[in-house]
Amino acid sequence: MPLRSLAWRLAVWVLAGATLVFVASGYLLFRMVGQQVLQQAQRESGAWASQGSSLVQERLDNITNTARVLASIIGPRPLDAKPLIHDAMAGNPDLAGLAAAFVPGRPAAREAGQSPFVGRQSDGSLAMRDLAKDAQPYWNTAWFQRGLACSQGCWHEVFRSQSRHRLLVSYSSSMQADGAAIGVVNADVTLDWLQGILQSMQLPAGAHAFVIDQQGMYLANDTMERVGKKADNTLLDLLNAPSLKGHANAHELDQQGAHVWIYDEPINGTQWKLAVAVPEELIYAQVRDAFVAVLVLGALTLLILGLIVMVTIRRTLAPLGVLAERAEQVSRGALDFALPRVRRHDEIGRLTHAFDKMRRELAAHLEELTRFAREQARLASELDIAQQIQTALLPGPHYLDARCHNFELYAALKPARSVGGDLYSYFMLPSQRFCFMVGDVADKGIPAALFMARTITLAKAMASHAQSPQQLLQLINQELCRNNDNCMFVTLLCGFLDVVTGHMTLASAGHDPPVLWGNHAPTWLPVTSGPALGLDEDAAFPVLRTRLRPGDTLLVYTDGVTEAANEALEHYGGERLLARLGQFQQSGDPTQFLAEDVESYAAGYGQSDDIALLALRWNHVGLEDETSMLDLAFPATLEKVFDALDHCEKRLHDAGIRSGLRDDVRLVLEELMVNMVHHGCSGNPAGCIGLRMMILEEAVLVELNHEGAPFDPLQFGAPALTGDLADRNDDGGLGLHLVRAMSSELNYTHDEYGNHLQLRFANPTEHGHGT
Amino acid sequence: MALNLRIDPFSPRRSTFYLEGRLDAMSFGQFDQEAEKLLQQMDVGSTLVLDLSALDYISSAGLRSIAKARKAMRARDGHTLLVNPQAQVRKVFDIVKAVPVKEIFQNLRELDEYLDRIQRKIANEGEELE
Repeated sequence: MPLRSLAWRLAVWVLAGATLVFVASGYLLFRMVGQQVLQQAQRESGAWASQGSSLVQERLDNITNTARVLASIIGPRPLDAKPLIHDAMAGNPDLAGLAAAFVPGRPAAREAGQSPFVGRQSDGSLAMRDLAKDAQPYWNTAWFQRGLACSQGCWHEVFRSQSRHRLLVSYSSSMQADGAAIGVVNADVTLDWLQGILQSMQLPAGAHAFVIDQQGMYLANDTMERVGKKADNTLLDLLNAPSLKGHANAHELDQQGAHVWIYDEPINGTQWKLAVAVPEELIYAQVRDAFVAVLVLGALTLLILGLIVMVTIRRTLAPLGVLAERAEQVSRGALDFALPRVRRHDEIGRLTHAFDKMRRELAAHLEELTRFAREQARLASELDIAQQIQTALLPGPHYLDARCHNFELYAALKPARSVGGDLYSYFMLPSQRFCFMVGDVADKGIPAALFMARTITLAKAMASHAQSPQQLLQLINQELCRNNDNCMFVTLLCGFLDVVTGHMTLASAGHDPPVLWGNHAPTWLPVTSGPALGLDEDAAFPVLRTRLRPGDTLLVYTDGVTEAANEALEHYGGERLLARLGQFQQSGDPTQFLAEDVESYAAGYGQSDDIALLALRWNHVGLEDETSMLDLAFPATLEKVFDALDHCEKRLHDAGIRSGLRDDVRLVLEELMVNMVHHGCSGNPAGCIGLRMMILEEAVLVELNHEGAPFDPLQFGAPALTGDLADRNDDGGLGLHLVRAMSSELNYTHDEYGNHLQLRFANPTEHGHGT
Repeated sequence: MALNLRIDPFSPRRSTFYLEGRLDAMSFGQFDQEAEKLLQQMDVGSTLVLDLSALDYISSAGLRSIAKARKAMRARDGHTLLVNPQAQVRKVFDIVKAVPVKEIFQNLRELDEYLDRIQRKIANEGEELE
């Protein structure tokens, strides 16, 4: 778009400014110079008049002087008149004719004998005649009469020579002898001659000169036809009028719309006037020429200036245009292009350099940005996948004890970011135990999520080796302490629930105490907490044993609940938690209710920490057939042991358990309890051995507690069996071998309360089912 | 249900020890006593038959007592044969591989055939010696 370009506008403005200055200064200059030129022209014109006058006068003087000299010479010697006249004619080409006419009758006339006249023929030869012999007597002519009177000489009027067919004007000077006029010397000049003088003036074209006599007759005129004619009165009046002010001999004539300036000058020695008529336009022509010259020069200068300006600006600003175009390319995203070559290190050179640098840095920056964005996208997708994986680590949010509907579990996990460090988990363990846990890894985000994954996986892997939550916590703790240079830690609350009886064991590793409600207002369970997992390898975790009653609900939560903040940065708090749970209807999902409540509370501030919730409701249906339960405690004596065995046998029999299984149970219990009797008792002798038996449809569960020195029946391997017991020298290990062989499952734990054995005997139904 | 023991019939060459009830940590002492008395009356090279048809239950203590009795018989070059063990007892025996299979008989007829075979074998050996 050339008209919009900076170069164009700059050129236009520069040219406009230059034109303005030029016109203004030209005008002023013209005003000043023009006046002077006009005056000069008028002076020149005036000078032409005086020059012409002088020229004419000079030539006329030549004529008059000749006439007068001849008159003075011929007067005393009339006899010499003829040769003198002839010589004078020959010597003066200006003369058209010369005559010496004597007054007839006078002595001089007689002496002379004739009145000679020499005329110049048209071919230039001289012809002489005697005037006295002319038909018309000369002494009566006007010129003769007047010439006699002009002792000092005088010019006559124009006349036409009949013999020569020309207009002539003559000058007469009287010859004197003895104080009396004796004749006249008459000199003729042709008007053509006078005209020739005028033409020798070489006036500029347009101007013309003329000589006018005292009668107003044209003696000479550049316009030949007017010669010998009378000038018009206007001109004569003008010439007689006083000259213009400021111009000595100037008259202004308005002639048919054309202004003519007339400069007149009297010709000395005559009564004639020489005038030069100069058309006004001729006078102004110089001014006009000057104006035109100035105009042309100015225009030329402007043109050249314009060209120089255009070329300079275009050359200088051309890189700017390229840069502008490149900048538009940059805005479209293209960065790979050629830049104009830097000629000079001026502003444009610096701009080009800076642009180049900017372009390269921009490209590098863009590349980095693209890489960064790609990285971000990859990270985001990885986070998405991580979230899916983390979600997959968690069991479902709702679990209903499908077999006996004894309990129902709800859970919720809401990470503050894509992935979080809070966790919940639950799973069934052997011996009708249900393990659940809620944990909170210190820190948030990916590190916490990884640590959470490690924790939850460890918990699942370790749970089968643990007989109690405190032991599970210890096992996880030991694993987490390994190579934990970052000192990451996780608080974890772990519970084992006996799904048949509702007995629950809880152990806490630095976690908030759980809330229990249902049969009473919500209250915290006073779980004494150990240190968080991952910090102290030798940490121990106290347990809380309790039994859930029908209708009880246990809620385990992370501090994301109590520390959720509203706009005023007030925490949700434990008291509010208890109050809200108190309002909660018993049916439905308490975790959802609580999560929504927390969310609406923190709506103004946003969730800042991960939230994990786990609620366990104990319904206690399907059990409570007291006959299927046996709970005994007795001293460690053989008699009491066998009493207990009989008790069990009877209960199993009553429960309809087939005899083979009854015998298996009896054998295992006998072996174990006889062992306990042999190992003695370290605690309360009256309740040294505890036996709890539950008879379920598909299995018989037995828990044996022994307050004695640690003794793990599983630590021994299978005894060497030769095929004949009688070959053996030692008879140990047989009982435990039988125990292992007879029971479907056997778990051993030891804690501060002694040894705990959990046994399970599968009871295959008639259809062959059972575990 | 305790343990009842009966020796029927008795002869120094071949006696049958009849066990009824449970042989466990409570009752194995009783068996040990009775067995010791009986063994003292047995000849060298005699045969002791333990009839387990009425033995309902045995535990590791009982196994040890039976092993002890068998050891004692072996010391006198005698044999101990078990006959008709009940399911639970048989199971326990199987688990700990208590007794060589050839010394357990499902019923008295099997036992008699076995004993006849032994007898003939001994008689043949005697004839060859003569």
